[in-house]
Amino acid sequence: MSAAEGKTAGAGDPILVVRELYRHFGGIKAVNGVSLDVGRREIAGLIGPNGSGKSTLFNLVSGTVMPDRGQIRFDGHEIGGRKAHAIARLGLARTFQIPAMFDNMSVTENLLVAAAEGHWRGARERAADTLALLKLEHVSDNRASDLSGGQQKLLEFGRVIMRQASLILLDEVTAGVHPNIRKIILEAIARLRERGITFLVIEHDMEMVRNVCDRIIVMDAGRVVANGSFNDIVRNSEVMQTYLGRPQ
Amino acid sequence: MKPRWTGLLLLIAVIVVLALLPMLVNNFWLRIATGALMWAGLACSWNILGGYAGYINFGHSAFFGLGAYVTALLMGDKLAWPFFATLPAGIVVTALFAIIIGAPTLRLRGAYFAIATWAFAEVLIQFASVMDFTGGIGGIGLPPFLDERFFYFAMFGAAALTYLITWALFERSRFGLKVKALRDHEPAAEAMGINTSLVKLQTFVLSAVTASVFGAIFAYWVTFINPNSVFGGDITDQMVVMVLLGGLGSLWGPALGGVALFVVNRIIWMYWGDTAFYIAILGAAIVLVVLFLPNGIAGLFSRRGAKSGAVLDKAVGNLAGDGQGGPS
Ligand SMILES: Nc1ncnc2c1ncn2[C@@H]1O[C@H](COP(=O)(O)OP(=O)(O)OP(=O)(O)O)[C@@H](O)[C@H]1O
Ligand SMILES: [Mg+2]
Repeated sequence: MSAAEGKTAGAGDPILVVRELYRHFGGIKAVNGVSLDVGRREIAGLIGPNGSGKSTLFNLVSGTVMPDRGQIRFDGHEIGGRKAHAIARLGLARTFQIPAMFDNMSVTENLLVAAAEGHWRGARERAADTLALLKLEHVSDNRASDLSGGQQKLLEFGRVIMRQASLILLDEVTAGVHPNIRKIILEAIARLRERGITFLVIEHDMEMVRNVCDRIIVMDAGRVVANGSFNDIVRNSEVMQTYLGRPQ
Repeated sequence: MKPRWTGLLLLIAVIVVLALLPMLVNNFWLRIATGALMWAGLACSWNILGGYAGYINFGHSAFFGLGAYVTALLMGDKLAWPFFATLPAGIVVTALFAIIIGAPTLRLRGAYFAIATWAFAEVLIQFASVMDFTGGIGGIGLPPFLDERFFYFAMFGAAALTYLITWALFERSRFGLKVKALRDHEPAAEAMGINTSLVKLQTFVLSAVTASVFGAIFAYWVTFINPNSVFGGDITDQMVVMVLLGGLGSLWGPALGGVALFVVNRIIWMYWGDTAFYIAILGAAIVLVVLFLPNGIAGLFSRRGAKSGAVLDKAVGNLAGDGQGGPS
């Protein structure tokens, strides 16, 4: 994972730095002054009630939506306001909350698209490996639109693996999927982290957050309201009020 | 791999028959075959952008007409260029116009692009109608060259090349993967590192220049063009219906749709001597295809379940601005 080690700095040098980031939609202050760091090789969880701005933060960091103001630094590059494809080429990959399939392409083609820009050599072999890892071999020739919801989540996760990114943003990748599929995804995350990949994951399932994440960032109403280990967060009754006190 | 072999044998048979056709039929039928090849090629040209990238072009005749006018003007008395030298000139002029029209509008929702291309073709009709150097509304003549075989083989070559390029680029390369990905979900394609604005523009330019080559050959063939005969909206209408009938986003569908509709056009012309009726048939064909053949003729033969109806959904969704479900 040369991209992850592109800079010689150690764990003290965060791979992602966000400072005073804002994005409003009309009167909605979706992201309203967010600052946060994600360290190299960590799995950071991002939690918060519905509408607190988590997905918008992902959209801003990945360039899918342009920020009003604020700074985003990824792996030493200022990326705030850059185009999504340019940010992706620096080694940042993401999934979408609503599975973003290339509907009329086969499952294998969906994976190959992820390799079309940047590292095409060996793409077919890597696609086959990814299909095996995600246990999607039996549907490799199916159109993506014919997959079940859970399989679509798997496929989107597979595309992100194919990107060979150094930072992966996962937006509720296990939400509503069958436990078997969840297990496949969790195992794959564990393997990727061994390879030095950093994760920032939006997750509603506290059990998963507890088991997977090294650190948790809590958002509410467009701002970061808490940041710490799972135990820190659980002890912080105000945060629990914010997060768990409201119906999902 | 049986379907592969039968497909290849069929393709070879078609090429052999087409290559020998001038020896088998008289000039009357050869002219009809020449027209059929032109329309098969034009349908493919429209499908490059509409079917693979999901961007609906309502002014594709603009590029057909640009190719025709560039060739007509360059071959005129003053300049007297040889025909083949006019082709690269037409390609360059067409590519420049495609970039000027496409660069600003392809970034926006499909509806802006559809309106811009339609308006562009209308502007060119008006422009060619009032300018002196284009011969105004009366049109412009070309040095007559009455060798039916030449034009048959020119159209055959152009159509074969158009399909070959389309196959290589869209069915067999990374470029095709990128184009189809942005058609199906543009924000996700961007997130995969694909510069969607650039890829769309490249696809649009390819679609435009292929149409211009057919326009150039057409102008030389018919030896006389006017604004409506090469820029007219009915030319675009026919391409759209041919592609929908054949199968949007499929490689061979547009050839089948193009040949089928052109043959109907000629039959009507032979029996009624007037093709106004044909326009009505085009309208009816659209309704029937959408209702009963949503995946086009190609869908009837597609092994893995047809898809062109779903491609149409994407294209129409893109037109309306909700094709990719938003980036949330
Ligand atoms: N493109 C947009 N246009 C207008 N409003 C938007 C847009 N994107 C997000 N919003 C609004 O911004 C707010 C934050 O939305 P966001 O999707 O970021 O929340 P979230 O934390 O991901 O919620 P959830 O847990 O439900 O996914 C919401 O009120 C949402 O309606
Ligand atoms: Mg969300």
